[in-house]
Amino acid sequence: MPSPKPKARTYALRTKRLALSAILAAMAMIFSYIEALIPLPVPIPGIKLGLANLVIVIAIYRLGFKYAFIINCVRILITGLLFTGLFGAIYSFAGGVLSIVVMYLLYRTGLFSMVGVSMAGGVFHNLGQLLVACLIMSNFKLMSYFAVLLFSGLISGILIGIVAAVLYDKLPHLNV
Amino acid sequence: MIKKADIVLFLVILITGLAVSVVSLGDSAEGDNVVVTVDNEVYGIYPLSEDRVIEVRQQGHTNNITIKDGVVSMTYSDCANQVCVNTRPIAKTNDSIVCLPNRVIVEITSDEGGEVDVITG
Repeated sequence: MPSPKPKARTYALRTKRLALSAILAAMAMIFSYIEALIPLPVPIPGIKLGLANLVIVIAIYRLGFKYAFIINCVRILITGLLFTGLFGAIYSFAGGVLSIVVMYLLYRTGLFSMVGVSMAGGVFHNLGQLLVACLIMSNFKLMSYFAVLLFSGLISGILIGIVAAVLYDKLPHLNV
Repeated sequence: MIKKADIVLFLVILITGLAVSVVSLGDSAEGDNVVVTVDNEVYGIYPLSEDRVIEVRQQGHTNNITIKDGVVSMTYSDCANQVCVNTRPIAKTNDSIVCLPNRVIVEITSDEGGEVDVITG
């Protein structure tokens, strides 16, 4: 007779993961919102801090790629519907998917710290958005923004990475 | 906290960025014409030397492009993010102001055969 105990434990674990994912998705959304409220005082489009990336980096380390990916998609879809409009969501989606894939691959190599992972994420987020902008506008002159966005992604990625590394150690280690 | 690979990655990205900046900054020159593109179609071409305000109205969207003293800026847009309005005024070739929500692009071109392809055939 199979014991019901392990099954119950699996369900409890799944529920915990689900709850944690929901909390992280809500946090990422709030970060996106805060960022939209307080624009950085720079006259160049596309430069932002990427606060939501903080949540995604922590999600990759805590919950793995699958959960982090879904959290990111939920965040982009909801912020798109609520604040930026669906057209803006296309850009966020391209940047979000590219950056999370790159971040996960770097994380899997085990060679990089959170700062390095987040730094690459910031750069590739901007690159993804720019590529989609080029495709939609069918104008590759837009790539002249690339250098600026690359540096901004680099700096914001490093800052977010440092915060993520500090937070990751401070957060209670839930068994999920 | 920071590993060796992080520093290598940082340097790689930094050098790529510098290389791209050098390439993209290298080929800008004094421009002559302002080309306004809406939804991938040319809306109008205006001389950079004449001061004027171009009102672009299409599909319920409005953008005002101002040419003044040889520089072009987006002075008004009804888009949500106002990125185009906050873009610095442009005057050199290969510079552009882009309003993604309204799909408006303002570019500077030159009268001379600035395109390399024309010269090399």
